[in-house]
Amino acid sequence: MKLLTNAQKLLLLLRRQRSSRTTTVQAHDPSAAGQPALTSAQLDELEKNVELRHHRNNVPLIRKLIEASVRGDRSVEQQLEEELGQLPNATHPRLLDYGDQPRELAQHVQREMPLKPKEFSELARALNLYRMDHLGNYTGHKSYYLTGHLATLEQAIIQYALQSVTKHGFRLISVPDILPKEVIESCGMRTEGERTQVYKLDTGECLSGTSEMALAGFFANKVLPEEELPLKVTAVSRCYRAETSGLQEEKGIYRVHQFTKVEMFAICTPTQSEAELEEFKNIEVDLFKQLGINFRLLDMPPCELGSPAYQKYDIEAWMPGRQMWGEISSCSNCTDYQAKRLAVKYLRASDGQVQHAHTINGTATAIPRLLIALLESYQKGDSVEIPTVLRPFMDGQEFIARSKRIPETKLVKFIKAA
Amino acid sequence: MLGLQIVLRSCRAAQKGSIRKISALYITGDKANENYATLQPYLDFAGTFDEAASLEQSIASRGLDISVESVFRKYQKYQTHHEQLQRVVGEREAVTKNLKEVTKKGGSELQIEELKEQGKTLRNDLKALKQALYPIEDDFIHDFLHLPNRLHAQCPTGDREVLLYRHSLPGSTSNVPSHLERKDLIHFVDNNRYYMMEQAAHFDVNAMQSLGRYFVTKGDFVQTANPDFVRCVLLEANATPLADYHMVREEHLQNKINTAYLTGGAAFESYLGAMTKLCVYPSVLPLRYVCCGRSYNRAEAQHYGPTPSLYTATQTNAVQSFVATQTADEANAQLEHILSLAIDFYKALDVPFRIVYAPAASLTPSESLRAVIEVYAPSLQRYVCVGRISNYGDFVSKRILFSTRREKHYDFLHLVGGPVLYTTRLIAALLEHNIRLVDCKLVGASSSGGKPTMEQDLQQFKDLFT
Repeated sequence: MKLLTNAQKLLLLLRRQRSSRTTTVQAHDPSAAGQPALTSAQLDELEKNVELRHHRNNVPLIRKLIEASVRGDRSVEQQLEEELGQLPNATHPRLLDYGDQPRELAQHVQREMPLKPKEFSELARALNLYRMDHLGNYTGHKSYYLTGHLATLEQAIIQYALQSVTKHGFRLISVPDILPKEVIESCGMRTEGERTQVYKLDTGECLSGTSEMALAGFFANKVLPEEELPLKVTAVSRCYRAETSGLQEEKGIYRVHQFTKVEMFAICTPTQSEAELEEFKNIEVDLFKQLGINFRLLDMPPCELGSPAYQKYDIEAWMPGRQMWGEISSCSNCTDYQAKRLAVKYLRASDGQVQHAHTINGTATAIPRLLIALLESYQKGDSVEIPTVLRPFMDGQEFIARSKRIPETKLVKFIKAA
Repeated sequence: MLGLQIVLRSCRAAQKGSIRKISALYITGDKANENYATLQPYLDFAGTFDEAASLEQSIASRGLDISVESVFRKYQKYQTHHEQLQRVVGEREAVTKNLKEVTKKGGSELQIEELKEQGKTLRNDLKALKQALYPIEDDFIHDFLHLPNRLHAQCPTGDREVLLYRHSLPGSTSNVPSHLERKDLIHFVDNNRYYMMEQAAHFDVNAMQSLGRYFVTKGDFVQTANPDFVRCVLLEANATPLADYHMVREEHLQNKINTAYLTGGAAFESYLGAMTKLCVYPSVLPLRYVCCGRSYNRAEAQHYGPTPSLYTATQTNAVQSFVATQTADEANAQLEHILSLAIDFYKALDVPFRIVYAPAASLTPSESLRAVIEVYAPSLQRYVCVGRISNYGDFVSKRILFSTRREKHYDFLHLVGGPVLYTTRLIAALLEHNIRLVDCKLVGASSSGGKPTMEQDLQQFKDLFT
């Protein structure tokens, strides 16, 4: 199946179709010669893909705009470009018969769960490791403080993840968290509208939702030699998400507006991207195996891919305190969806042609949910055991117990002047 | 010298710019319909005006355009009206009480009517007085909230900073190329956007984590991870110029005047959220916190321009300290404690650095003393700030109601703290000194973290069979 799914290509086709009536096909672009016009059948296929992914169906509008454009109405071209830009990526054929449900590929059971497990908030509050109450007016909705050894554990997880991924050849990059909205939109994230997940600043710039955006932006307009691919990078960043949730199962730090994440990102050739995604998946599986939590690997159905992904794996950890599986990691192959929007290209070694690259992204560790999974899985009475692989980053410490040095949350309403 | 004057002027301008017509920190009753008060700061009128001389000296040294006498006059006017209002409240209560008693005893109708009329008149008087008091209260309280802290005895009152500590003198080489020449390590777009690669990226994370760890292990600090947004009420409580940080545009903001600002978790103001209205047992004091995280202060950048570089960038990784003590003496000791830990860190890097007390004119109104850690930036041929530890006395604690109980009293805690490391500027300076970042000795770095332990080896061996 060859779906034409990106704005530039479709528009180019339209323009060529128009120009071919009056002039000849441009010689410097041999691919355009004999290129068929965008047919109704292709639009049908695009629409099928949109529906499969439960995406907003703008294909009928696109049809109308194309008709207007073919008739010579140039005023609609920009709108057409915008609508085409909002079409999702193509979908991996493997997923076509998945329906709306993910397929469980593996389940890793590594430890026995505690008999009467406490939920993270209860556990962390009892051990004086966290505070989330009465903060909305001061540090914002769903803000939280990690205190004592839980904050140290956060840094240990970052070190552990960095050590693991750099061993796999990922190169560390420090990334910006404040980005122009164009970069964010090029990654397939909308910055306008009621339900946008993107925070905006007084300057009009946006806060990055994941370092994937900054990393993709870093390689924008670059042409990389094929020998350098796959180019694998990693970043530690703060992620800002305006999304919110009132769901009981997402209470506490499960879904928050700000968190730290170690991200993996790769730029590769179209022939490398599928294997690269498998490597991302294997690294993630290995990271969580070493951490000794129980988790499962899911192959996500088309409706869960968002706009940019061609295929996506999720990893869900068992959170015994909540008695539920919670997503702690994922990795996606975005093929050329982001690369085309950001003009990330490579120089093909065989013929010296400049081609669009493919991009892969994946989570090494996202802190809050991993903390939930770790604390709930490793609780032992009045303490929490520290996973073996994290101990070297915590001076060999084996357990986290209640700290008496951290004050309890006792609040006053007001204090009257004497 | 000229540079210092520019810095001072920009600081004053920033401070003046921060004066808002409306405050989230104190909301008078007439505005309480649209905005709600999230905090009632402790307003110590007596303590503030009792020693007017030291307050006047603080205002003069900071170069602020505030007349204590004028604020005091407003205070007197406010007091007079307030007392009048209280009198009417008292009279009204007495009438109500009287009315109850007369009714109970079966007094005459005329008597009851008379009292009711009296009550109505007093109610109307009270309403009128309240309406009259709101603008007076508004005018006075906002001026009062803009009064600065008193200065610490060690704070320089002249135009110049005072040297406290110095490690190795900068070389005399001029025309040192900017760190931005290191294209292999730095990709700088603008003040909000830069990338660091390879050893610079590793140093960015490792230096922050190592120093944070050093504060925990050597300095007996408790580590925290803090929120990145701080609402306006806390910035006002801390007298932080609002222009220092980016404002976050929030959809569905309930309290329009209490907007959020992007400070980063490793900002002093971020700690205040957890301390607001908090009353702690004396047993946890001194409370010593340290945090690794981001800082997004955009104001400091102005000092190191006009050419944008890592010295002027808004975002940086940072290590932030925060200490609360019961007494002023303990606060002084804790400031020294923080500085001595920071000295260990910078000495190990063997980069020319110094610690100075900043002149009063560059302090924010809440600071009584500021020690600045500065490394020498060869391309700028000047020292740049990589950390600054301030003493706030109990000025901020009173505004956010951060206290401890002593018998039946509340003691407001003395606060000391600030960033001890901005990685971005340090990396820029180290590169310009031709110091290889991979060779840098980082105090506090985990010795075992870099190498797999026996347990890890064993685990990896086991994994081969799973």
